Amino acid sequence: MAEFNEPRSKATASVSSSGNPTSFLSRASKCAKTLEEGNRSLSDDAGFAQVQPMMEDWHQPWLNGVELLEDSNRNKHFLPTGYEGIDVLLGGGLCEGQLTEIVGSSSSGKTQVCLYSAAHVADKHFGVVMFLDTCNSFSPKRIACMVDQLSSSFSGEAKERRLKRIMSNIFCHSIFDIFALLDVLHQLEFNLKHQVTSGHTKICLLIIDSISSLLTPVLGGKGSEGRLLMVSAGIILKKLANEHNVSVLVTNHMVGGEGGILKPALGESWKSIPHVRLQLTHDQGSNICNVSILKHTFMASGRTTKFVIHG
Amino acid sequence: MEENPRGWIHGDETAKAMLARVLTERPFLFLPPLHRVPLRVGNVVEIAGPSPSAKSQILLHAAVHCILPEEWKGIRFGGLERMVMYFDLDCRFDVLRLSQILKHRIMEAYKSANSTYWEDNGEYQKYDATEITQMCFCDDELFLACMRRFLYIRCYSSFEFLAALKAMHFHLQRESEALGVGLHFLMIDSIGAFYWIDRACQPMPIGGSKRKNLSLQNVAEAVVQEICKLLQTQPVLVLATKATIFGAGTSGNDAQRAFGKWCSERKMDSRTLSKEGEKLLYREYMPSAWQSFVTHRVRLQALDEIISDGQYGTLPTYTSQWVQPPLNIKDKFAVRDDGIFLIT
Repeated sequence: MAEFNEPRSKATASVSSSGNPTSFLSRASKCAKTLEEGNRSLSDDAGFAQVQPMMEDWHQPWLNGVELLEDSNRNKHFLPTGYEGIDVLLGGGLCEGQLTEIVGSSSSGKTQVCLYSAAHVADKHFGVVMFLDTCNSFSPKRIACMVDQLSSSFSGEAKERRLKRIMSNIFCHSIFDIFALLDVLHQLEFNLKHQVTSGHTKICLLIIDSISSLLTPVLGGKGSEGRLLMVSAGIILKKLANEHNVSVLVTNHMVGGEGGILKPALGESWKSIPHVRLQLTHDQGSNICNVSILKHTFMASGRTTKFVIHG
Repeated sequence: MEENPRGWIHGDETAKAMLARVLTERPFLFLPPLHRVPLRVGNVVEIAGPSPSAKSQILLHAAVHCILPEEWKGIRFGGLERMVMYFDLDCRFDVLRLSQILKHRIMEAYKSANSTYWEDNGEYQKYDATEITQMCFCDDELFLACMRRFLYIRCYSSFEFLAALKAMHFHLQRESEALGVGLHFLMIDSIGAFYWIDRACQPMPIGGSKRKNLSLQNVAEAVVQEICKLLQTQPVLVLATKATIFGAGTSGNDAQRAFGKWCSERKMDSRTLSKEGEKLLYREYMPSAWQSFVTHRVRLQALDEIISDGQYGTLPTYTSQWVQPPLNIKDKFAVRDDGIFLIT
C-alpha cells in the first residue's frame, strides 16, 4: 500500500506547487540523490501536464519575437486615411492593432479626418467601418460630399453606386455615455470572438468621435471611479485592436494647462493608453491643417506635416 | 562535490573563471541612463516618468542588447546572447520598433566590420550603404535567432498578469532548453497599468475570510512573491517602467478652476507651482510591497528642447535622474535607432 501511496502524494505535491515548477525542481534536485530518479520525473511531468492547459486559459499566449513579427506582417496592415500628408507621416496610415488618438482644439479638423478616413477605408474594400458618434458629429451628407469630390471623373450612375457601396460599409452608432460605450465595446468583442469573420464583414476601423466627451463628465472629483471607467475603456479598445486586428481612432479635445497653454484633455492616466497621438492645428481662414506627432511607437515625436481639408 | 568537500571550500577559482562569473552576474551595459549605477542580477530597477519620456525605448534598447550575440561569424556585436522576458501590461509594444532597432544594430556592426575591411584594402570608396543594407538583410539567420530569444506576453488585467507570472517558470524552462541560453532580463511595461482598476476593485469576501481578496495590495504582494521566486533560481535583472499617473497639479488644477485665478496670480506663482508640480508628478502610488521590492529607481522627464541630428532630422531630448541610489547628476539623452546617446 505504501508503495502505491507515495507516487500519488508526490503528484499532488507537484500540482499544488505548480506555480513555480522551477523552484520545485530545484528543491527536488537538491535531494535528488535520495529520491528514486524515474519516479520523480514521472510524477512531475504528470503534474505539469494536468495543470498546464488550465494555466494557459488564464493568460494570453506566449509569443517570441519571430511569431510577433509574423502576426504583424500578416494581420496588422496600414489603413490609409486618404490624406496624403497624414499617411506619409505615419508611414502608411492608421495601423491595425493600434489605438490612434487625434487631439486638437475645436474646429481643428478632427471630425473631418474621422469622416474622411471612414469614407476612404470603406471605399478601398478594407472592410467595415464602425463610427461611434458621441456628439452628433457624424454627417452622411458630408461623406456624400467628400465621395462626390473624389469621384468627379465618374458618370452619374457609377457615382451613385459608389456612394451606396461606401455608405453601406459604414455603421454609425450614437452613444451618449461611457456605460453605453462599454456595452457596445463588450458586445463588439463578443461578436468578433464568436463569429467566423469572412472578407467584407470584418470590421477594420473603429472610430470614436469624440471619446473625451464621454470621459470628461465622469472624471474629476476625489473618487477613482472615473479613472477606472476611463482605463477600462482604454484596455478594451486596445484588446479589440490587438486581438481582432482593428484600427481604433479616437478624438480628444484640448484644455488649458499650466500657464494657459493648451494641452490634450483627459490627464496623465490617459496619456499612457494610446499608441499614437497626433495633434491637429488649423490656421484660421485657410483649409490647410498642420499635424504633428506627439507620441508614436517608433517615430520620434515632434515631426510635423501639412494637409489640405477640401471644401 | 560530495567526494571532496575540503577541496570545494578551499578551491580558489582562476581569474578566467572569476571573470566569467562576474560578467554573467554583472554584464557590462552601456545604456544611458542605466550606466550610472552598477547593476547586477537580482536587482529590480524601476524606470519612472510621464508618458512619453522614452521609458519603453530604454527597455527595447536593453532587450536588443541582451538578445544580440557577442560574436557571430567573426563579427562583433557585443551582445549578451541571453533571453528577455517581456510582460506587456500597457499593450503598446510594437514589434516593428524592436525589429527596427535590432536591424539597425546588426547593420552598424556589419558596417564597422566592413569599413575596416575596405580600409585595409584601400578600397574605401567602394563601400556603399545600399550594398551593406542588402547584405545585412540577407542575414536572416542571425536576425531570427535574436528574435527567438525575445519572449513576450500581453496582459489585459492583473489576473492575467498573475497567471502569466505563475506560468512563467515552466515556459522559461522549456524555452531555455530549446534555445540553450538563460534568461537575463525580466521586463515589465508598465507596472502601474492596472492601478485604477485594482484600486476600485473591492470584491465581496467569499466564504468567510480565509480566502484572500483581489486588492491592490494583494496583487502587488503576489507579483513580488512570484518575481522573488524567479530571482532565487535564475540570474535575472528586473527592469520595470512606471508611468506617472498623477499629472502636474491634478489637485492644483481643480483649485484653480474653483477660484478662477487663471492668468493674474498664476504668473506670480509659476515658480512655486512648477516645483509643486514636480513633486506631484512623482507621487508614489504603488503599494508598499512593490516599493520595498525595488532596489534602484531612476526618474525620466521629457525636455522641451529638440536637437537636430543630420541623419534623423530632429530628436526630442530627455533627462534622467537616479533617485535610489540618490545621485546628484542629471543626464541628458536622446534616443536614436542605433542606441541611446548622452548629450553633453
